[in-house]
Amino acid sequence: MKRKIRIPNLGGAHAYILHRPHPTVQALERQLRAIGLTVVHCWPELPAEALSGDFVFFDADQGYDEQFPWKPGQSPMPMIALIGSEAPGRIEWSLEAGAHAQLLKPVGDGGVYSALLIARLAFEARQSLSVEIADLRRRLDERQTVVRAVTLLAARGKTESEAYDQLRQMAMAWRVSFEDAARRIVANHEEQGGPDDRRDLG
Amino acid sequence: MKKRIELGLLYSRSGSYSLISEACRIGALSAIAEINALPDFPLSLIPVERDPQGNIDAYGPLCEEILRESGARHVVGCVTSWSRKEVIPTLEKFGGTLWYAVPYEGFEASDHIVYTHACPNQHLLPLLGWAFARLGRRGFLTGSNYIWGWEMNRLARDVISSAGGEVLGERYLRLGSLEIDRMIDEIRATRPDFVLNNLIGPSQYAFLEAYHRLGQEDPHFRPETCPILSCNLTECEMPAIHPAAAEGLVAAGPYFRGASGWPEVTNRNFGSSHEAAAWSSVYRLARLLSGHEGAPEQSLAQLLADAPAGSEGIDLATHHTELPVLIAQVENGAFAVRESFAPVAGDPYLAHGREAVAPGAPRLKVVS
Repeated sequence: MKRKIRIPNLGGAHAYILHRPHPTVQALERQLRAIGLTVVHCWPELPAEALSGDFVFFDADQGYDEQFPWKPGQSPMPMIALIGSEAPGRIEWSLEAGAHAQLLKPVGDGGVYSALLIARLAFEARQSLSVEIADLRRRLDERQTVVRAVTLLAARGKTESEAYDQLRQMAMAWRVSFEDAARRIVANHEEQGGPDDRRDLG
Repeated sequence: MKKRIELGLLYSRSGSYSLISEACRIGALSAIAEINALPDFPLSLIPVERDPQGNIDAYGPLCEEILRESGARHVVGCVTSWSRKEVIPTLEKFGGTLWYAVPYEGFEASDHIVYTHACPNQHLLPLLGWAFARLGRRGFLTGSNYIWGWEMNRLARDVISSAGGEVLGERYLRLGSLEIDRMIDEIRATRPDFVLNNLIGPSQYAFLEAYHRLGQEDPHFRPETCPILSCNLTECEMPAIHPAAAEGLVAAGPYFRGASGWPEVTNRNFGSSHEAAAWSSVYRLARLLSGHEGAPEQSLAQLLADAPAGSEGIDLATHHTELPVLIAQVENGAFAVRESFAPVAGDPYLAHGREAVAPGAPRLKVVS
């Protein structure tokens, strides 16, 4: 089933605009204030306080990596590119910088509200995917540990499937993940100076 | 000698919503006549009128005609949100301003529009709060397949669910459709505590009549237990509704005929809040234009910023106004005010929250 998106309330959010003073920035600020955000202007660098901001608008035309106090694509808040020249190189750079949405310059009477919503929802989606991917990757990395733990348990006279069930029960009893339980068993075995089971397997 | 200033009027005098545009037009024209008759007022206003005849594609070109062919920089007009959105590019292109005197669904704050009627924190949120306290939190949402219905019901759904209530159904009819039987059947089957009516035009009139018949068959669907709630119904549409069908309907609005508290006037009566809002638009504009040198040529933002006596209650960031909030119920064919809240500033993006405004809040004043 499709999940219903809840439209966030933006009142009181802080927006940083990383752009040289320009009429486009005034039009952007007017819209942001009408929507209920506070606005901080900065150029050419983001101040340290920007780390606690809720949105960053940045100039795609004259921007560069060193402006941001984080690695490209790893902003802790949604980022919106202000694009004047739609040159492929600048769009590529904006994407690498981590744009979650874009707004074309000159900024007129509209466009900011939808950019804010799209950026916020894209940011949240990317965040939750990153967490999920990190978890899956960690579990993938632990595959070998799981195999070793099951083998160790099976070495005590169980079938492989019984050993697998036992590991699952241990994880439940210890209230840890399956992979953590496996790591504990392997570590315990190594502390006790047991023979390397990989050699046994070989 | 009064300085003559041209003022655009852009109201449809025919079509499905002409009752509303006529109410607004009467408000604007009577304000113009009154201002022109004031001996000491330095300006007189000359209306430059165009009639889009309810044709959505005529609004942009006719607005452009006013701004190009006359000296008018300001236009009072538009009833539907669709037409308002249609004229924005024209206003931007020619530096014009639209004064919009109709309740709408919010989430807009154009640099070229002044919004002088209510947005959801001034109609829907207090109306739902009123309903939650008296009727319950199980609602059935209806609407015309149109931006007003979609946005109002989306917000209502949010408010109802975050208050722990339940949306028992959400049904839309295409504009102008009279096929309301299915909607009525669903309401009968789900037995809600209230029905939120965001239908417009003939669909709304037919729905009210059918719902009245439902109430005659089943007493649950009478106003005491399950009334219809509206955020945009005023006296101006009553002639189109069967008198018995409107009885008991509950509406939110900044003004109802005979109520006191409309900003800046004490002893003047209006036919409806539509008329009152259009009337106020013209007065506010006239005072702004006569307040300082060069005002008639200025952009809206500049005009408001430079006004020596303040911006006439128009918020500089949102261009919305502060309005009284009244909850009224149709009784013997007229709206009787049931509850009155202190004036509330328009908050188009609901930056101050989207909870239902609960009756009993400190700013509340009960009308006896």
